[in-house]
Amino acid sequence: MDIGTIVAGLLTLAILTFLYRDNPIYKMAESLLIGIAIGYILVITWTNSLMSLLFRPLLNEGAVWLLIPLALGLMMFGRLHRRTALLSRIPIGVLIGSGAGVAIPAMLDARTLRQLSATVGPVITTGGVPDVSMLVVLIGVISTLIYFYFSREHVGWWGRTARLGTWFLMVFFGTTFGYTVMSRMSTFIGRMEFVLSDFLRVIN
Amino acid sequence: MSRLEARHWVFLGLFLVVLVSMVLQVDLGVTVSDDSRRMHDYLESLPPGSTLLMSFDLEASSLPEMRPLALAIIRHAVSRGHRIVGVALLAEGTGIGYRLLEQVGREYGKVYGEDYVFLGFKPQYIAAMLSMGESIKQTFPEDYLGRPYDSLPVLRRITNYAQIDGVISLADGSLTTHWIEYAGNQYGVRVSAAVAAAMVTTYDPYLASGQLHAMIGGLRGAAEYEQLIHRGGSGLRGMLAQTTSHVYVIVMILIGNVAFFLGMRKRRAG
Amino acid sequence: MGDSGSGVNVVAVLMRRRIPQIVCGLFGLVTFLCYFSDHPVARDIYLTVTLDYWQIIFAFSLIVGAISYVRVNLRGVERGVDRPYRIVSLAGVFLMPVLAAVWGIKGGSPFMWVFENVQVPMQATVFSLLAFFVASASYRGFRARSLQAAILLGAALLMLVSRSAIGDLLWSQIPEAAEWVRNTPAMSARRAILIGIGLGSLTTSVRVLVGIERTWLGGDK
Repeated sequence: MDIGTIVAGLLTLAILTFLYRDNPIYKMAESLLIGIAIGYILVITWTNSLMSLLFRPLLNEGAVWLLIPLALGLMMFGRLHRRTALLSRIPIGVLIGSGAGVAIPAMLDARTLRQLSATVGPVITTGGVPDVSMLVVLIGVISTLIYFYFSREHVGWWGRTARLGTWFLMVFFGTTFGYTVMSRMSTFIGRMEFVLSDFLRVIN
Repeated sequence: MSRLEARHWVFLGLFLVVLVSMVLQVDLGVTVSDDSRRMHDYLESLPPGSTLLMSFDLEASSLPEMRPLALAIIRHAVSRGHRIVGVALLAEGTGIGYRLLEQVGREYGKVYGEDYVFLGFKPQYIAAMLSMGESIKQTFPEDYLGRPYDSLPVLRRITNYAQIDGVISLADGSLTTHWIEYAGNQYGVRVSAAVAAAMVTTYDPYLASGQLHAMIGGLRGAAEYEQLIHRGGSGLRGMLAQTTSHVYVIVMILIGNVAFFLGMRKRRAG
Repeated sequence: MGDSGSGVNVVAVLMRRRIPQIVCGLFGLVTFLCYFSDHPVARDIYLTVTLDYWQIIFAFSLIVGAISYVRVNLRGVERGVDRPYRIVSLAGVFLMPVLAAVWGIKGGSPFMWVFENVQVPMQATVFSLLAFFVASASYRGFRARSLQAAILLGAALLMLVSRSAIGDLLWSQIPEAAEWVRNTPAMSARRAILIGIGLGSLTTSVRVLVGIERTWLGGDK
C-alpha cells in the first residue's frame, strides 16, 4: 500500500470520529483541511488566472492596458485596513455593475420568458385537448406564483389557489428531499468504497 | 466519556447497513431511465471527432458521488472518438478535472494536446463563460500547465463556442444554471449536464423547457450509464448499498412516525 | 457635515458612495448594451474591458480573502486561542504555495499529492457525514403532522423507493409514477420558484444600475 493511501485512510477515519462527538483529532484534521484548501485556491488562482490573464501578458507582451485591472485589483487590498477600506469600493463597483449588467438579459430571457413560454406554449399549441400533465404544470406554476405573491391577502379563491400552490411546493420539497438523501448516501458509499477497498483491502 | 445517545444508534445502524452491503459485493442491475438514455444517445449521435467542452464545476466534497458520473461520461465520449476540452470554473475542480482526463486519456491511449486538453481554472464563472463565448483563447491563453494555447493541436480550429459541439457541465452545485442561462442562451451552445443527485430537481425545469439538452444525476445515474456503455464501475458496485441505505432511511421515517402517532394517541387518552 | 470643507473629506465623501456608484453604473450599462450589439468594437470592449476586468478583480478578491484568514489566525495564535489548531491551519496555507513553487502543479507533483491524499479525502468525508445527519433527521423530524407534511413525506418516500433497486422489484410502475411526479407537479413548483427568482434578480439588477439599491456599499462608516 502506498503512503498516500495510508495518509488518506487515516485522515478519513479522523474526520469520521466526529460522529461520536466533536474531539481534538477531528478539530486538528478540520484545521489542516481548511488551511490546505485555502493554500490550494491561492496557488490555482495565481498560476491559472493571474499569471495567464494579467502578469504574463503585462510583462512579456507589454499589454499596458492591463495596468488598469491591476490597479483595480490592488485596490481590493484596501479592505485589509480601516483607513484604506473605501478604496475597495471601486473594484467592488466593477464586480457588482458587471454582474447586474449581464444578469438583466439572462434573468429576463433565459429564466423568466423561456420558462413561461415552456409552461404556456404546450397548452395552447396542442390544437386539440391539451395533455393532462401540461395542465397540471400550468396549474402548478400559477398557483405557486400566487402563493409567493404577498401584495394581496391570501383569502377567498385567491387564498385557496395559494393553498393549492403550497401542495405543489410540498411535492417539490419532498422530491428534492428524496434526491438529497440519495446524494448524501452516494457520498458516504463512495468514502466507504475507498476505506474498504483501497485502505483496508477488505473488498476488491 | 459521555453516554451514547439515540442518534449514535441511528448512525451505527446506517454504518452497518452500508458496510454489510458493500462487503457482499453484489452487482444489482438497474433499469435505465429516460434521462440516462437521452444523454447516452446524444453522445452517440455526435460524429466521431466532435469537440466537447467539459466543465468540472465541482468540489472535492462531492467527488465520491461525482467521480463515477464523470468517469462514465468521459469514457463514453473518449471511446466514441470525441475530442475533449476540459475547464474548471471552481478552483477545486481544477485538480479533479486534470486528473480524471489524464486517467481516461491513459486508459484509451489518447494523446494530451491532440485528443484532449485541460485548460485549467478561471475565477468568476459567469465572466469566464461569457468570455469563452467571445474567445476561448483570450480566456485561457495557456493550458493548466502553462503551455500556450496555439501550441496545442486540439485547439487549433477552436475560437469560441461556435466550434464546440456541446458543453457538458459536471456539477455538484448551481453552475449548470449559469451555463444554460449565459453560454446556452447568449451564444446558442448546446448544454448538457451530469449533476449530483441533490441538484436534479433544480434543473428539471430547464430540461423540460429544452434549455438543458440532457442530464444524468447521482450514483444511480452513474450506474445506469455504466450499464449503457457496458463498463462497470463504482456506480453499479454501489447500487446495493444505495438501495439498502434508502430502505434504512424509509424505516427510520416510519419508526419516527409510528412513535409520534402512538405518543399523540397516548397524550389524548391521558 | 461640519468639516466637509477639507479636501480629504470631500474625497472620502465621494469615495464612499458617488464614485463607486458611477463605476458600478458605467460598467453595468456597458455590459448590458454590449448584449445587443454584434459590432466588433462592442464585442472587444465586452471581452477586454468588462469580462477580463471582472475576472482579474475577482482573482484578487480571493487573495484578499486568504490574507484576511491568515491575519485572523495569526492574531489568534498570538492570543493563545486554539493555538495548535490555528498553527496547523496556517501551516497548510503556506505549505501549498511552497510545494507548487518548488515542484510545480502537474500530476504526480507533491502539490497534487497533498491535494489528492489530504484535501480530497478529508473534504469528501466531511461531506459524507451528512448521510448520518440525514438519517437521524429522518427519524427525529420527518413527521406527517399535517396534510402538507404528509404530501411532502409521500413524495420523499416515492423518490427513495423509485431511485433504488426496490422500486422495480415492488411494482414496475413505481419508477414511472415517480418520474411523472418529478417532471410534473414537482417541476412546476420549481419552475414557479425559478420565475420568481428571475423576476427578483431582474429588478434588483436594474435597481443596482440606477443607484436605488445601495446595500452593496454597506453603511456610511
